[in-house]
Amino acid sequence: MNLHWLGAILIIAGCGGIGFGMALNYKREENTLRQLIRIMDMFCCDLEYRMTPLPELFRKAANASTGQLANLFANVSKELENQIAPDAAYCMASALHRSRELPGKVLFALTDLSRSLGEYDLDGQLQGIKAVQASCNRQLEDLENNRTQRIRSYQTLGLCAGAALAILFL
Amino acid sequence: MKCAWKELLAILPQSIRQDVDNLGREMLQEIRLRKSQPVQLICHKQTHWLKTVITAADLNYTVNAASRYSPWAATTISQGYLTAQGGHRIGIGGEAVIRDGQITGIKYLTSLCIRVARDFPGIAASVGQVSDTMLILGPPGSGKTTFLRDLIRQIADKTCVSVIDERGELYPQAADFMPGRQMDVLSLCDKPSGIDMALRTLGPSCIAMDEITSESDCNALIRAGWCGVQLLATAHAADVQDLYSRPVYRPLVQTRLFRSAIVLQKDKSWKLERMKL
Repeated sequence: MNLHWLGAILIIAGCGGIGFGMALNYKREENTLRQLIRIMDMFCCDLEYRMTPLPELFRKAANASTGQLANLFANVSKELENQIAPDAAYCMASALHRSRELPGKVLFALTDLSRSLGEYDLDGQLQGIKAVQASCNRQLEDLENNRTQRIRSYQTLGLCAGAALAILFL
Repeated sequence: MKCAWKELLAILPQSIRQDVDNLGREMLQEIRLRKSQPVQLICHKQTHWLKTVITAADLNYTVNAASRYSPWAATTISQGYLTAQGGHRIGIGGEAVIRDGQITGIKYLTSLCIRVARDFPGIAASVGQVSDTMLILGPPGSGKTTFLRDLIRQIADKTCVSVIDERGELYPQAADFMPGRQMDVLSLCDKPSGIDMALRTLGPSCIAMDEITSESDCNALIRAGWCGVQLLATAHAADVQDLYSRPVYRPLVQTRLFRSAIVLQKDKSWKLERMKL
């Protein structure tokens, strides 16, 4: 009997964990997007007023960010400094390839950014960054809308699914 | 010879780095990369042809690497060149992009001419004391910039020199070219603005600059003349007679701003000539 109850608790805890994990990912995606928007702002200012070369720009971005995003920017900067790749887009793509843990929306935005990287003059580059920033803002707005309900539904769904499974097994 | 060799190799396509390193480390002056042609290395007294044939991708790679993948850091491409880290100047051949009647860039690259920035401390020692304004003349490749670099250093050991390094070739940050003791360098700044800034803020006894090429450069020099500041510059001309024949330089001679010139020969020797029309 005790074993049954223990199994049920484990199932509920497991499913609940998945739900809470999904909610956490949701928050992480939102935070990373917010961080990326801030970095894009920094890119624009630095390019406009200092015309900083890309390797230095990404090094600064790595220092100004945290977690996966900091790793990614440091990798891009390293790739650019090594001067092995034919162009900046290739460097970014190769660094992104190594950063699969980044949230989908952030990966999508960064892939977009890589397409314009180092391709145009200063105005063109700024336009490219601002376009990606606008798209990030839209995605962030999407995430922020109904944020509380969505997070609560993930958590509740996890717990309920766990409870349902436990009832079925019992 | 001192040279930012690592920086030079880093901008070359990987397929030729080893050969360039083996053949050119001592006396390399110029590397010519031409699309669908083998690489040409021009050293002090001989020319080497490598077997590697250059592709369009190789040319693009070199320009990308030299500009550190940042086209905005290479705005001089519209003037047909860009300066790589270490002061190596890359002349660009290709199809000009024209917007509103102005050249804004170069696309479909067909050739690159990489001039290696080198430093030979002591080559200008034989000039001795320079107290007058002085022009250094010579045809392309005669070593005007290299000579000027050493002459500036010598003068800067005794008096305060402001260097207007418009192309970032004289004392590039990545190269460990020994600076003079009393030297202030204003890099990547056009000559007219640089001269004004130096006069107003750096308190120089001498202002030095490389390659006077335009009327605005000459006018800026004339404006700076007779301010109690010694001027030192280089210009493209085989000798003093050549200089007189070029209308753009005429005001410099007519105003007697420059009264003597050091004329460099292709064999790296030099002679001092007086100038008068």
